[in-house]
Amino acid sequence: MSPEKRTMTLNLTDQEMRVLEDLCARKDVSKTALLRQALRLYQMVDTRLGRGEKLFFEDEEKKKAELMVV
Amino acid sequence: MKAHIEIIDNRTGSPVAAELFDEVTVEHFIETQQEWRPIVLKAARQLAKLGSRELIPQHLHWDWTAKAPELSVLANTFCGIRCEKKLQGLMKVQTVGEFCRCRLPEQEGRALVYVDYVEVAPWNLKALALGLGEKPRFNAVGSRLIEAAVRKSIEEECKGRIGLHSLPITEQFYRKVCRMTPVGRDSAKQNLLWLEFTPDQAESFLTGEGL
Repeated sequence: MSPEKRTMTLNLTDQEMRVLEDLCARKDVSKTALLRQALRLYQMVDTRLGRGEKLFFEDEEKKKAELMVV
Repeated sequence: MKAHIEIIDNRTGSPVAAELFDEVTVEHFIETQQEWRPIVLKAARQLAKLGSRELIPQHLHWDWTAKAPELSVLANTFCGIRCEKKLQGLMKVQTVGEFCRCRLPEQEGRALVYVDYVEVAPWNLKALALGLGEKPRFNAVGSRLIEAAVRKSIEEECKGRIGLHSLPITEQFYRKVCRMTPVGRDSAKQNLLWLEFTPDQAESFLTGEGL
């Protein structure tokens, strides 16, 4: 059984909506599911940064770039 | 969430009622350390004495209590199975993270639910029970946990797609019992085998009820 969910209205620009729709198509999930994933990812990153960890992207040549998150 | 499920009692060969739940707390983690770990170590020592080192599980060092800070992270879901007042299995899945992307060419890049950890109580593991000179107590605990992961995937609109890295000792279970597709070894994760379910495979697994 799923936990009870609450509804909210979200206002997006055309560009933001296009990005959202494109991501939904690539990930094969609905807008609600994608935004819930985004929230979880943001919380996970924020929690780990809060613990003093760092977030990096690594390219094919193993060069690392630190991602700054506000 | 609490759901009534059935697992198999190996003393009778018949199904018995069990409870699947996702309100996992640090108390459950402590229970694994107090109730499971001493048995895992005892059985591993016995297997080593018997010369059956290949049967010693690679997860004998796992410590669920170290995962206590992860209980409050939305990306994680923990599930457990309780039967006869004892914890029979525990699982952690992730709905977002580095491994939540499909790798199978036919569904590459799509979202999946990643099964991060699955552990079955040592008295239910064939290899460990052998080390203790006993028969496994319950069967189908692992299958029920994988079933819960598939249902979580459906709930998250991932259509049953799940993925996991298997320890060598459990590869046959995921290949033969669950019928997951082996995709390849992952050098980023101790060269463990990566396996996935497509939506069709997940549906077949659910309708076949695992075991």
